[in-house]
Amino acid sequence: MNRRLIFVFSSLLLVASMLLSACAPAATPAPAAPAATEAPAATEAPAVEQPTEAPAMEEVALRWRTRPDNQEEADVYASISDELDAKLEGITLSYEPGGSESSSYQDVLKTEIGAGTAPDVFWIPGSDVGDFAKRGLILNLADQASMTDGFNIDDFYAGPMAALTHNPDTNAEGADSGALWGLPRDVSTFVLYLNNDLLAEAGATDPRELAAKGEWTWDAFLETAQKVRALGSDIYGYGANAWWGPYGTWMNAAGGGFYNADQTACNLNSPESLAGLQFEQDIYQVHDVAVPYGEDSEPPYRAGKVAMFQNGRWATPGTRTVEFDWDVVELPQGPAGDAGNWQFWGAYAVNANTAHPEEAWKLAQALTEADVQAKISSMGANIPSRVSQEAIDAFLTFTPPANNQAFINGLQDNAVAEGPLWAGSWPDFVSVMDARVSALMTGQETIDQFAATICDEAGKAFSQ
Amino acid sequence: MTTMTMPASRSRTDTWLLVLMLWHGLLAVAGLVAVYVAFTGINGGLRFAVAGVLLVLALLSATTVPLIHRRDHRGRSISLVVNYLGFLTCTALLLDMIGAFTGIDDLAQRFGRGLPFLLISFVGYFIRSFGDRFEQFPQRQRSFQRVGNIIMLAGLLLFVLAIINFSGIPALASEILQPVRMALLLGLILFGVMFWAMWRQPVAEVMGVNNARSETLSGYLFLSPNFLGFLLFFAGPLLLSLYTSFTNWDAFGTRDWVGLENYARLLHMTFAQLSSPTQLATEVINTSIFDELFRFSILGKSFIVGAQDKLFWLSIRNTVVFCLIAVPLSVIPALLVGTILNSKLPGMKFFRAVYFIPSVAAVVGVSLIWQWMYNAAVGWINYAITSGIGAVNGLTGLAIADPQMRWLSSADTALLSVALMVAWQTIGFNTVLFVAGMQNIPKVLYEAATVDGAGTWAQFRNVTLPLLGPTTVFVLTTTLIQAFQVFEPIFIMTNPPGGPNNSTLSMVLYLYQNGFQRFRQGYASAIAWVLFLVIFAATVIQFRRQRGGAYEA
Repeated sequence: MNRRLIFVFSSLLLVASMLLSACAPAATPAPAAPAATEAPAATEAPAVEQPTEAPAMEEVALRWRTRPDNQEEADVYASISDELDAKLEGITLSYEPGGSESSSYQDVLKTEIGAGTAPDVFWIPGSDVGDFAKRGLILNLADQASMTDGFNIDDFYAGPMAALTHNPDTNAEGADSGALWGLPRDVSTFVLYLNNDLLAEAGATDPRELAAKGEWTWDAFLETAQKVRALGSDIYGYGANAWWGPYGTWMNAAGGGFYNADQTACNLNSPESLAGLQFEQDIYQVHDVAVPYGEDSEPPYRAGKVAMFQNGRWATPGTRTVEFDWDVVELPQGPAGDAGNWQFWGAYAVNANTAHPEEAWKLAQALTEADVQAKISSMGANIPSRVSQEAIDAFLTFTPPANNQAFINGLQDNAVAEGPLWAGSWPDFVSVMDARVSALMTGQETIDQFAATICDEAGKAFSQ
Repeated sequence: MTTMTMPASRSRTDTWLLVLMLWHGLLAVAGLVAVYVAFTGINGGLRFAVAGVLLVLALLSATTVPLIHRRDHRGRSISLVVNYLGFLTCTALLLDMIGAFTGIDDLAQRFGRGLPFLLISFVGYFIRSFGDRFEQFPQRQRSFQRVGNIIMLAGLLLFVLAIINFSGIPALASEILQPVRMALLLGLILFGVMFWAMWRQPVAEVMGVNNARSETLSGYLFLSPNFLGFLLFFAGPLLLSLYTSFTNWDAFGTRDWVGLENYARLLHMTFAQLSSPTQLATEVINTSIFDELFRFSILGKSFIVGAQDKLFWLSIRNTVVFCLIAVPLSVIPALLVGTILNSKLPGMKFFRAVYFIPSVAAVVGVSLIWQWMYNAAVGWINYAITSGIGAVNGLTGLAIADPQMRWLSSADTALLSVALMVAWQTIGFNTVLFVAGMQNIPKVLYEAATVDGAGTWAQFRNVTLPLLGPTTVFVLTTTLIQAFQVFEPIFIMTNPPGGPNNSTLSMVLYLYQNGFQRFRQGYASAIAWVLFLVIFAATVIQFRRQRGGAYEA
């Protein structure tokens, strides 16, 4: 056979087969409508009756994504996707885990949205909901929700739902606000992960006992941390990572917070916020009981060198492998009378450019059903976002830690829901706040210097 | 027979040329219509770029008609270029519209299934080639070739069957059977046919193409994938980013032209005298616009400098400081190590490989390992320091205090720590370059220097260093550019990225944060172009210095 003929034939065959494989339905992402050129008005009703490209009875392919914390969780999500695939009539699901060591989940997602290749349904952190909604990147599901039998926003925790039903045009919140930006996947709170061996060695009173008696206060916390710190120069009483979550709790517990009441201005220089920050700065600079600010506290905690490590439920699966006796306790109560905990949450939102908004809404509902949330909770990484004693009871059975109730107490202790900044730019606000708090905690700035200019600087985020 | 064929062939060629003239006339008219559509249908400055390209192609096509009529070889060249570009454009647009590019991920997964069958094809190829050894036994050679061909084809078919997705056939058909896509398919075919018609040898001869011109065109054709790739994936995005820097694009909506606003915001600064060094910034500068950048005192008076975008200037300062630390640390040790590795001591080849290993390691992995080593509480570096000081104190009775370094969590040391890691990773590559440069220095010069009584240091200073001039400039330039663009180590090692207190915020990290986290692609593009100008200026200065003083080998 002629060599040239073989070459031409082989090449054509190869190109044709590759083309067919690339164009096959399974390989093709759910077709998206043309990219929006302008952000739609926030209250603009989604096209509920928007015609889909495929006939009603035809199978609709949907892609969905969430960020698992580990491979086991990714496997659970994949199996849930398979189950829902079988359960949801006319919908074929494809699950994509997102995020890695070198690629931020949100940054990749935003890039894909810009390129028009993002999944139909995706998870976003609560603090991102405002930016996504204001730019028209996620669909307002209020109309679909109002036509869905049995759907009730009160089935979920109020904090996340207030943010998810916020209407930026009217500032209304709740079931009748005309806005619904997604459904919460789960919630979480902060606790202190305890190294009971270190606490016993230091002769400190068990924080769980103090908490049970209502005596777990800032003073008791500091005393405990100091006793542990006295064990050695490389042993620390307290550890937390350097982001807004941990330092925010000290501000909240003192009665302060990031924003004013209607979230339209900076509140970082209020006396209450400054009191919380002053206490935290003293932990690092005066009492020197904590892992240096800015260092990752998880490795020293896992190495048995930190007695109290502040973290969320997501740290539980990893902590289950440590070799010392551990448990969790609520955050200590501050001057305002509570622990100032956060209610962390993230939501399943629907891509504004999805070609199948109705099916995507069905998927978002299915992903937040009680049985699905129970399966994910069994991995120990989060708390179901549905308010139900049944869900809480199920959550409490997933031990260790023995004191799972501390997470639930955190939810009930006037927890401040992680919220999007509707009146400004959260990324701008947090970048200024993170840097200045870092300067404060590492002793580069005094609290007076911080107070003098922080809101001039961070307040610019409200004009963005 | 020949006399009968020639006129018929000539006639066919003339017909083809007539068709080509009509085709290019039609293209010119269609091109002008497309210019109008593009100019009225596309918003923003992009319409000028699109309309400009279409206008050039339309004019080129129009120019082709008289040139083909005159049988001018330039007409053939222009025609080939226009048809080639048209063919590629239609193909790319069609593939994009039918979703072929977004299905490549799935294709890659399927490809893995077929790889074993490709091995069968390789075996067939091997058998076929083996047959060439029997040139003196043609029958045996043919048998080998036949068997080889069959095995190759079988392997290929199996490979295709393994990777092919037959459900793609109806999908492809339904994707293509739409008006715009059908038009693109038709365009693809027409451009392809016209290219082929003009490329044919009889047409080339009639158009007066000689061998030299033909080879030139072939050369450009071979060059075209790379050149078009350069235009599409390098020059195109570069120009697009320049355009974007004059807009307020957030990566999702429209690009609204804002002129120099982004650059003005970047560079907008203020300056004021303070009544005392500790006077509050709010009292002297408008803090609703500016943030305090720094203060200084001169001749007993204190001043404050503010900037509208403080972080931009901080990122410039950090990047310059990073370069000042990382570049010397990456170059000077590399020169010394290169000198040692260039010697004829035993085991040098092994050490050359050892020093090169960090350069091939992935930045992400290396950064994570160094982050762990730098950990102030459980890191190996602090452990070594503490143990070392303990041992010294124990042996000498001294009471040297453990510094308990906070490598990545202190604003004083974080940038230095990252620079040390980057230098560690870069030294190996620079060493290899220096060794290569040293091996090009003629040995006779060292012999002459030895005869003149020059010692090792004198030889290094007066022979090695001057003759390494071009290599040194290359190493310095590439290391400097790399240092200006530092991103990954800072992104991974510092928490939050750029911290503590923005002490490691580099220009590229700041660009990334603006573009991908704060929804400001236009502003990020402006930062990118300022960075480009800074790097360009630094490179030009280096090259000028080399021209002024370096030894030319």
